[in-house]
Amino acid sequence: MKIVLVIEDNPYDARLLMQILKNSYFVLHAEDAEQGLLLAAEQKPDLILLDMGLPDLDGQTVAALIRNTPGLEDTPLVAVTAWPPDTARDMTEAYGFTAYVSKPIDVQDFRARIAAFLGEGT
Amino acid sequence: MMSPPEPEVVELVPASQFTLDELTAAYNQTRVDYIVPMPMNVERLYEYIRTYDVDLSRSAVALCSEEMLGLAMLGVRPGHTWITRLGMLPASRRRGAGQKLVEHLIARSAELEVPHVILEVIKNNTPAHCLFRKLGFRETRELLVLRRPPGPATEVVEPYTEEFLESDEAIELLEQRRSCPSWLDEAPSLRNAGRMEGFRVTLASGGSGWIIFQHNLFQLGKLVLQPETGDLHEVARALLHTLYNHHPRHDTQLENLPEDASYWPALQEFGFVVSFQRTEMRLDLGSAS
Repeated sequence: MKIVLVIEDNPYDARLLMQILKNSYFVLHAEDAEQGLLLAAEQKPDLILLDMGLPDLDGQTVAALIRNTPGLEDTPLVAVTAWPPDTARDMTEAYGFTAYVSKPIDVQDFRARIAAFLGEGT
Repeated sequence: MMSPPEPEVVELVPASQFTLDELTAAYNQTRVDYIVPMPMNVERLYEYIRTYDVDLSRSAVALCSEEMLGLAMLGVRPGHTWITRLGMLPASRRRGAGQKLVEHLIARSAELEVPHVILEVIKNNTPAHCLFRKLGFRETRELLVLRRPPGPATEVVEPYTEEFLESDEAIELLEQRRSCPSWLDEAPSLRNAGRMEGFRVTLASGGSGWIIFQHNLFQLGKLVLQPETGDLHEVARALLHTLYNHHPRHDTQLENLPEDASYWPALQEFGFVVSFQRTEMRLDLGSAS
């Protein structure tokens, strides 16, 4: 089973993401950047979902650190953000994200996109 | 016939009566639905309070029947004060408590006999912007919050020589700044932030300038550039070139760059992108209504 790491501090959003993913993937959850970076380095997940507003470090810095971690340079990294589309596009391109998903989450679309990021597209 | 509900009695309590844990939790709860939520942990809030001279005894938490509705903080320095971290719980908005908090901080500022109060509002936060206008604040300028992902300086620049600046020299240079800094990058903020460092560059063609910054394990921040003489654009490019020659693996954050800063084009060439924008506003206390 593929591993998805969710780095999200908001309990409601974290619950929602895990609820959507738990039947198809092994889901790990970190509620701050420090825990997320440790889990990412140790577990080498197949996909990382990263909230852009974390309490200890912001999403851009976390993304830069993930991309500098051996073994995570090419891991699909998806920003989960309420940023306006232009900002989300510019920022995720600049920081080496694979893509971004807008909040609030569209559940059906989200499932399909996660499958596609993991090479499981229909 | 049912009588109308009693109006809410909002009590404003000095923030100094709460622990940092309580203030952090309260602050984060007020921002859950923000476009730029910027949550904090206790360490970051403590650093914020210390760096930006936030006076918790003059900051306030709004309570109703002992339930927290929101909070707002006041930075205090000679000559002006700064309203920051205003936030209301989503269910408590549009009920007047936010206005009471701001009025309270204005009153505390007036007691200090400072001539004006400043604040920044995130662009497109229309309810907050309207509230500040209603209370007499007027826009002074637009500010950019920028980011640059890690990466070496690959841009070709004019030949230059560089000189490293220790913290004391860096702080001294900040006092000679020509630009008008926002609260976040005023000299006291940078002094409070801890060790600063910098470079002075001199172009072979004669121009010169300096760059001051702080670097931690992951990030460069508190960046201040001052091209001084010669071709100012080329000087700015050389300053950024030397910075990223030395720190190619650091992420960079630059807060509150005035939209019309002369070196914004150079920053763009070196890969800076806009994260979001703020509008700086000011209330002259002599004319407050």
